[in-house]
Amino acid sequence: MSDRAAAARRRRLVWKGLEAAILLGMLFLILFPILWMALTAFKRPVDLFDLTILFTPTLDNFRTIFGAPWNIGRTLLNSTIVAGLTVLISVPASTLAAYAFSRFEMPFKGALFFTILATQFIPAVVVVLPFYLLFRDLGLLDTHLALVVVNLAIVTPFATWMLKGFLDAVPTESEEAALVDGATRLRVILDVVVPMIWPGVVVTAVFCFILTWNEFLFALILTRDDAVTLPVGITRFRTERGDLWELIAAAGILISIPMFLLASVIQRHFVRGMTGGAVK
Amino acid sequence: MRDRWLKYMLILPAALIVLGTTIWPLAVSLTTSFRDWRLTRSLTPGPFIGPEHYVIALTDDPDFANAAMVTGLFVLFDVTLTVVSALGLALLLRRAGVLQSVTRAVLILPFAVSPALVGISFRFMFNAETGVFTWLAGVLLPPLKGFVWLADPWAALLVLVFSDAWRWVPYMTLVVLGGLAALPKEPEEAARIDGATEWQVLRDVTIPALLPVLAVVAILKTVFALKMFDQVVTLTGGGPGTSTVTLAYLVYSIAFRWYDMGYASAVAWILTALLVFLAVWYMKLILRKPGQT
Repeated sequence: MSDRAAAARRRRLVWKGLEAAILLGMLFLILFPILWMALTAFKRPVDLFDLTILFTPTLDNFRTIFGAPWNIGRTLLNSTIVAGLTVLISVPASTLAAYAFSRFEMPFKGALFFTILATQFIPAVVVVLPFYLLFRDLGLLDTHLALVVVNLAIVTPFATWMLKGFLDAVPTESEEAALVDGATRLRVILDVVVPMIWPGVVVTAVFCFILTWNEFLFALILTRDDAVTLPVGITRFRTERGDLWELIAAAGILISIPMFLLASVIQRHFVRGMTGGAVK
Repeated sequence: MRDRWLKYMLILPAALIVLGTTIWPLAVSLTTSFRDWRLTRSLTPGPFIGPEHYVIALTDDPDFANAAMVTGLFVLFDVTLTVVSALGLALLLRRAGVLQSVTRAVLILPFAVSPALVGISFRFMFNAETGVFTWLAGVLLPPLKGFVWLADPWAALLVLVFSDAWRWVPYMTLVVLGGLAALPKEPEEAARIDGATEWQVLRDVTIPALLPVLAVVAILKTVFALKMFDQVVTLTGGGPGTSTVTLAYLVYSIAFRWYDMGYASAVAWILTALLVFLAVWYMKLILRKPGQT
């Protein structure tokens, strides 16, 4: 009997050890690529392929990418403008639509909501072909406007879905009270509803900002010089002279840090972004 | 009662955005797919030629067949790896503990990294001879010493899967953790009291209850794996040869290297049709849930 208990205890101990080993392995896998990139960003080219972590750190790479000919500051600005404008247009529009979907009945509501949501499954490459031709004819290739327009296609369905989830969870009493007091519906939305779901609006805006910031395909096809955003900008460091890894890493850190911060801010709600409240 | 008109006005901006940025381009590329239009020959669309592009793609184009095969394999490996790892990791992270909370805290990070950057970093780490993962693989498995990952068709595909899983597994783990937290505790406890082993509880109680969440994870991952593009450009460039050319990348090549807009649109629409089919299935699954209208 005590033999069996001892065996069970041993088995539990082995299992605990195994669990810890798996978790440590996972931690390593998740963090290592990020840490390696961070280290590489501070390396001189001669230390690049040294696998040691003992090297003389330098800020030269950051200095280089901000200087000519790379001018990453410009790219950074482009990314900020495109992601910012996209969010500023799509989040208000999505809030209004989500409110209507959440509070009103209407014919074809199901079909309409379904259509808006289904569009997020469309591959970006099928959307970009006609836009490429249109923007080429209009002379709008390589502009912020072009990128904002196509990014709206990606972001608006997500935002509508996320915001409807937040709106559904809010009680309607205070809205109804304000309506009875004679306020118009639009005033109620602005003064009562939006303040109540403000955290949800922020989470949605941040999520959409991250999506747009990281977007690659549209920027690759629709920009050349003036409106290039960061994800395409980093591919510029792969030159004919070879890949300038230390510069790629420095730019990579620059792209990622703001997104890490934003993602941590909305951590708890991050998952809703893709699953739209299907999984809480 | 002005609400009757107001509700449509509220939807209008978002509806116009979706109409203009998604429905319109979809309609244009659908009509383009039935026309002969090579930008190298003409700046305006050519004549309608019927379903010829679709017939060619589905019956007589080795590039399409190859891309369909690559995409299929990628989806298979990627979805399997993601669902299994996310489930396993979530089950391990469910308990309290220091290691658990540290891991839970970093799960958010990979998804915030631009996929294009993920591709480039993995290219760096799997660099021949000097890449840190190339070196690590050689240390852990000596026969792999000196193996050039990105020069081997199968290994390159696996590295591509690995890079995509790196970004998605942690995110999907959070989704599964959310599902686990929402499960009622009683059935598991009742099973334990009845003398079931932990393994039996997992197999007969927990996993069946989690199936709807796992279905969400599997379908979402399938959709995003089918659309995979960014890392193909920045990690493998479709190579070696054409061994990692996915359908989305093939569309890009046809349109912006060979400038055949008609054929590119047709291939894009074959991919779209597949995704719309999945979308309908997915929406039925999640909109059916009570309280989720």
